[in-house]
Amino acid sequence: MPVRLLALIPVAVAISLALSAAVEAVALPLFLDTTGTILATALAGPSVGVAVGVLTSAVNTLRNPTFWPFVVIQIIVALYAGLAARAGLFRGLRTAVPAGLGLGVIASLTSTPISYFLFGCTTTGGIALTTALGRALGLPPLGACFFGSFVSDFGDKAVTFALVTSVLHALPRRTAARFPLALRAIGAA
Amino acid sequence: MRTRHPFTLLTLAAALPTLAWLLPAPAGALGTAAVAFGLAAAAGVRRVLVPAVVTAAPFWLFLFVLHDLPTTLAIGLRITTMVAGFVWLAAVLAPDRLVEAMVARGWSVTVAYVFAATLSAVPLFRARARRIVEAQRCRGLSPRGSVAKRLRALRALALPLLLSALHEVDERALALETRGLRSGARRTPLAPPPDPALERAARWALLLVCIAALVGRLV
Amino acid sequence: MNPLTLEGVEFHYPATEAPALRDVSLAVAAGEIVALVGKVGAGASTLLLVAADLAPRITGGRLTGTVRRRARSGIVLPTPWTQLSGMAFTVWDEVAFGPANLGWPGREIARHVERALERLEIAALAERDPATLSGGEVQRVILAGILAMDPDVVLLDEPTAELDPAGARALWRLVRVLAGEGKAIVVATSDLDAVPAVADRVAWLEQGAVRAMGAPDLLAEEATCEAGLGTTVAGVWRAAGLAAPYPLTVADAIQRWR
Repeated sequence: MPVRLLALIPVAVAISLALSAAVEAVALPLFLDTTGTILATALAGPSVGVAVGVLTSAVNTLRNPTFWPFVVIQIIVALYAGLAARAGLFRGLRTAVPAGLGLGVIASLTSTPISYFLFGCTTTGGIALTTALGRALGLPPLGACFFGSFVSDFGDKAVTFALVTSVLHALPRRTAARFPLALRAIGAA
Repeated sequence: MRTRHPFTLLTLAAALPTLAWLLPAPAGALGTAAVAFGLAAAAGVRRVLVPAVVTAAPFWLFLFVLHDLPTTLAIGLRITTMVAGFVWLAAVLAPDRLVEAMVARGWSVTVAYVFAATLSAVPLFRARARRIVEAQRCRGLSPRGSVAKRLRALRALALPLLLSALHEVDERALALETRGLRSGARRTPLAPPPDPALERAARWALLLVCIAALVGRLV
Repeated sequence: MNPLTLEGVEFHYPATEAPALRDVSLAVAAGEIVALVGKVGAGASTLLLVAADLAPRITGGRLTGTVRRRARSGIVLPTPWTQLSGMAFTVWDEVAFGPANLGWPGREIARHVERALERLEIAALAERDPATLSGGEVQRVILAGILAMDPDVVLLDEPTAELDPAGARALWRLVRVLAGEGKAIVVATSDLDAVPAVADRVAWLEQGAVRAMGAPDLLAEEATCEAGLGTTVAGVWRAAGLAAPYPLTVADAIQRWR
């Protein structure tokens, strides 16, 4: 692996985990913990993205061990973002936001069974609360669990895609051109 | 336990939750949870055991609200094993020893690099993000207003962090290259941790126990 | 045979029209110190990256002309923080990062690390976590990490940027000692007043090209002073309306007054 992509991995993981401070400051129900995965994929392809995703989950696991099984989501995110980058969907918000919403649906469909069968849907405070809300609205347990995952994933992935698009366009061409996939992702090559 | 070989610590931390999910509930998970709490207590009651209990407690609350008692007990003990085991691991596993162990075992230097560099980059960027948030708070950032307004504020916080990080990737790559980090290079281990035969045997034994539990579960 | 020779080098960064270097020729002999001076963006950093074999290999872009390297080189970049390996949890291990990557035997690594720590006067920091050091300390650790790899060509990009005046003086003394050992040294610096005592030759870069090259006296000439690249003494002399030639150093000025 070229040394530039090697250096990108730790930085991308750190980005994903540092953005929670920004999210807390504006009090929005988001995670943004796949930002590094999506950004690394858009710059350097899905294999780098998968490495970033797996490591992000591993570091998260040191804080809260129940995050580990969700490494599957990070891998799916990297593969999906790889397709989106190849198709040039980061060329503008009009294409990036729908792509993010699509990822949100896929992510919540995947995380629901993991969350339900391994942890009884109690993984993180936010999801557990919305799941309890779902139950209160009369949904069956699995349905309530999906409701919880969906509410938290749907907006999150769309905002993340929009954020990555902003970054790719704000990046000087000279810097972007040093990464193999970046220009294609924003539809410039 | 801090002086044990890092691979032994990792194997133990991985085996505990594996067994907790594979062994029959709730007795199996009760056993693994007891072992995990024992390890945590031995590593330090206030520093390790108390954080483990505090991390595991909310799960019990939500489980109790969402499920009946047998399910709560079964899943709760599994999650508790996992939480206590990992909190223990994070406390006793020294990253530098793990990196040295990986290099000494002939792992690719790039794998060891990515691993270690991630552990040192995370606190660095967290601190940087907090500084950016503080600076923006001084200029009137507030967590109120419409969602659109807050999304714009989020963008203003995140963009400088991400752009400076990507700029840094470039400099990091140049610095690593000039200091000889290359895929496939044979790096000299600086202080490889000792790995006694007994510990190697213990790791294999743990692996066999896990396989046996899996077979027992499937048959 | 010179350890480093550039002939008619032109270099473009990826996705840029204007060249970062234009028709640059420079030969550096063993034991020689060449200082690169110029405004920000003049091409000094790029020239060092080309000399270090990092451009275009790592940066991308295209290079025409000839670059000949007959020896191993090490480069110290301007920002100290981003050069920490991230793989070392003590200063000792940080300095040993490069030698270990070269696969040297442990004893030889230890010898070179101890020597480099001593030379940079940071032996007392050996057990510290690099993440807890000040900017100046990190800059010294990084230079120690490069010297521990025993390069024959040492390339320095603003090596005194994070150092206090005493630290800067110590660094320039060390640079002279390294040259005395036969290392070829190229240093890009804006510490112009240090250049006359340190450098054997000065190359003035402007918009990617070598505008002038010669002895350090260059920093007291009308054209360099007009571009703001003269030494402080020469600049003051010129601003006071005193006659050319301007004195290069304080000692020169005193002599002229007498």
